[in-house]
Amino acid sequence: MTVLSPVLHVVGADLSRTDAVPKTTGTATYTVDVSFPGMLHAKVLRSPHAHARVLRVDASAAISMPGVHAVLTRDDLVDVNPTYGYFIKDQPIVAIDKVRYIGDAVAAVAAETEVQAVAALERIIVEYEPLPYVATVDAAMESGAPQLFEDEPMGIVPAYGQGASGAKYLGNNNCYRFSYESGPADAFDSCDRIFEDRFVFSRDQHFHLEPFVSVARLEGETIEVWTSCQNPFPLRKELARVLKHPENLIRVRVPYIGAGYGAKNNCKTEPIAILLARKAKRPVRFCMTMEENFLTQSQHGAILDVRTGVMADGTLVAREGHIWLDSGAYADASPLVAEKAGYRLPGPYKWQRLRVDCDCILTNTTPAGPYRGFGGTQASWASESQIDIIARALGIDPYDFRIRNLKDLHEPYVPGESGIDSDLRDGLNLVADRIGYVRRESGRGRGMGLSIGFKDAGGVNKPAQARIKITTNGDVYLQCGTVEIGQGIHTSMSQIAAELLNTRIERISYPALNTDYTPFDQGTNASSAIVVMAQAVQQAALEAKRKVLEFAAGELDCAPDDIELDNWSIRKGNEAHPLAPMIMRYYGGTGYEFTGEGFYKAAMDHSAPLETQCVSWEFGWGAAEVEVDRDTGLVKLLQLVVSGDAGRAINPRICRGQDEGSAVMGLTGALFPCMVYDGAVLVNGDGLNYRVPLATDIPDGFVSILQEQGHGPGPFGAKSLGEGCMLPVASAIANAIEDAIGVRIRELPLTPERVLAAIDGSVSSK
Amino acid sequence: MAGDFAFIRFTLNGAPQEVHVRPEEMLVQLLRDRLQLTGTKIACDVATCGACTVLIDGKPSASCATFAWQAEGAEIVTIEGLADPADGSLESVQQAFVDTSAFQCGFCTPGMILLAKALIDRNPSPDRDAIRNWMGANICRCTGYEMIIEAVEKAAAMRREGGR
Repeated sequence: MTVLSPVLHVVGADLSRTDAVPKTTGTATYTVDVSFPGMLHAKVLRSPHAHARVLRVDASAAISMPGVHAVLTRDDLVDVNPTYGYFIKDQPIVAIDKVRYIGDAVAAVAAETEVQAVAALERIIVEYEPLPYVATVDAAMESGAPQLFEDEPMGIVPAYGQGASGAKYLGNNNCYRFSYESGPADAFDSCDRIFEDRFVFSRDQHFHLEPFVSVARLEGETIEVWTSCQNPFPLRKELARVLKHPENLIRVRVPYIGAGYGAKNNCKTEPIAILLARKAKRPVRFCMTMEENFLTQSQHGAILDVRTGVMADGTLVAREGHIWLDSGAYADASPLVAEKAGYRLPGPYKWQRLRVDCDCILTNTTPAGPYRGFGGTQASWASESQIDIIARALGIDPYDFRIRNLKDLHEPYVPGESGIDSDLRDGLNLVADRIGYVRRESGRGRGMGLSIGFKDAGGVNKPAQARIKITTNGDVYLQCGTVEIGQGIHTSMSQIAAELLNTRIERISYPALNTDYTPFDQGTNASSAIVVMAQAVQQAALEAKRKVLEFAAGELDCAPDDIELDNWSIRKGNEAHPLAPMIMRYYGGTGYEFTGEGFYKAAMDHSAPLETQCVSWEFGWGAAEVEVDRDTGLVKLLQLVVSGDAGRAINPRICRGQDEGSAVMGLTGALFPCMVYDGAVLVNGDGLNYRVPLATDIPDGFVSILQEQGHGPGPFGAKSLGEGCMLPVASAIANAIEDAIGVRIRELPLTPERVLAAIDGSVSSK
Repeated sequence: MAGDFAFIRFTLNGAPQEVHVRPEEMLVQLLRDRLQLTGTKIACDVATCGACTVLIDGKPSASCATFAWQAEGAEIVTIEGLADPADGSLESVQQAFVDTSAFQCGFCTPGMILLAKALIDRNPSPDRDAIRNWMGANICRCTGYEMIIEAVEKAAAMRREGGR
């Protein structure tokens, strides 16, 4: 392992997290804990129909119910832009002409208590004309299928670079298509074998414990909204558009977030809370229940067709794919997820030819949106399953097949793209060695499987700004828009700043986000903080440090290069000059602040398919060992070994927590029931019936191995973690099942029923 | 309505507490909304996830599924009641969670800490299996549990060595 810098004393240390005491003593403030005098509580009336025209909404009886201060229906959406979304603005604040899934918001009430609000909702009269619905991707794509939108909603297709393109509204509920193509179209002609497989991906729900929640209040014309949101600046922009309100009169505040795993991007509770607060002239809190979370956002189920051409000697040549994402009732982030699912389907292998289409299919179900892995989970499931299928068909061990075809360190992913910044073979060897892959005994009900989860990291074209302020006494403010959502970024960023300013981490404070003061950021997502925002923080810290050194050099009558900053003192040879008195001598006894600003954005580059080269590449190497009971179909996970590459681990324990947490999240989609629909009715959408992994579900053989390969673009060689290790889990287990019982399962989750059906199928076909 | 209120007395984090509660009021509402002890969280609200865990006479209990009037005569401990009120020093499980970074978003953490404390109160030397089984009562969606299990092992060791 590379020794990156022997002088580091804060970076690389397993320091306690800066949020440790608040979070272990109950004093950490989350949005659910925010309240104001006179605050009202909002509740939402939700559609009982999967698809219906809304003929009449009469809320006149609700407004006179006890404790009720405001009611919101479509009649109130007069001075606003009533719909929101990402690329496509199709989701109404409350239903206008139609409802499109069971749970779609129809009306809202603000009352003095939640109980009063619910009682008032029952007095709202809604007349529906039920319409035929489509609950699955297949049904939605049939010719003559009911259309969720008769008229195309407002939307855009962003510019793409080399080989990539997008299109919206292609008919039959297909709201967006992302396509990517490179290499000669006839590459399949020379292949010895062509493999075609269809894979099905399960649909998990984020199951974040803090619900969707916001508290809105008005101070004159200023709208203040406290919210459990991971991209507050884009939220502010969207709220400004929806509310037709100046951005600088919308203040978004984000305290600690009780996790999101992707779900807490963009509008959720905020428009309703704000509009009710406006009407009631009182603060309004809108806190969903867990059942409502299930009716608000989910992962994308998917169907993935993959066609791969290969030479008999085991050389991969060409891959084509078509992905259909189950987008639910509104476009939400589906076009962005489609970009990434489509772009990542090739996996980190050497190809001569690629072509992928990824379609977003609207169905009358919960809107699907961002979910950890962001399309990469779906793509890795299909890609890494088929890699094993091909290897076995060619009589090559799946390990050898991967080693032969993997991209090399620094090799561009596709033409125009940045180079791969991890040694993929090193990572694969690590997990294979740890699990004992070479010595394994395949068959007889036990087997092992490997997988390499793959995604790009750092987002697309993300600008990030940061500010460092240092007070007279050397106390440091680290201001940036990356929110603490559990990933430990307050701590990691503070370690970076402390290292660069040669001070202790206790001197750094990281104020909670307030869009009035916090420098701009595009959002805490895409594993971007440590490779994008951290570069802005680094620049800000170095600029602040330069200003301090220049000031001190002037005072000490020497060159800045002759002195060093050391624990808020200036070292000049063997002399130490405390900074505080020096600052007060010059700036006066009331003191001063040194400020450094930082900015980072990947350069625009039209030769890159996504218009900027990807900042970094994120991997999760996985190895699984299973025991399969042929009589019951039960898959027992004996070992799960995962590994991520932190580049340079700023705080190794935090990194480990990211790898292990994401791997266990990946287990949900692999082995747990996920969202179960009966027609358009979600039957397990609540805390009692939805199963997520418990401590007792984790095998003793669960191990994570943290790599520090040193090639990352972030400060000190750091690179992204946090999504990678969920990506290989499902395919590693499916590959292990085939190793164990010779049966290939192409559909998630890997439930006993599905395993039994696959065993029966393989027996009857023989 | 006044006649429907119940007057209850209980011990909350070591101090006597007297309140009138409504018959349908849940303990978590009393703690969070009226006594401003917001460290106890509501997540699933159906007694499954354990984010609302408090100790009632030493027993980990879902405060979302406990009526407030059931607190009558009980000794209740919430996350706010663990640290030493005199000097703020942390209880062993809290300290172990701090030392090992056994949390991420922190929303399940108060419940996890109280759950773990109840285990160590009963069994000062739990092995990994015992910890895994006991901690399987609560849901953490962030950590993958391994670091929580390590924290509980460490807390038990700290307690055996005389920690509080």
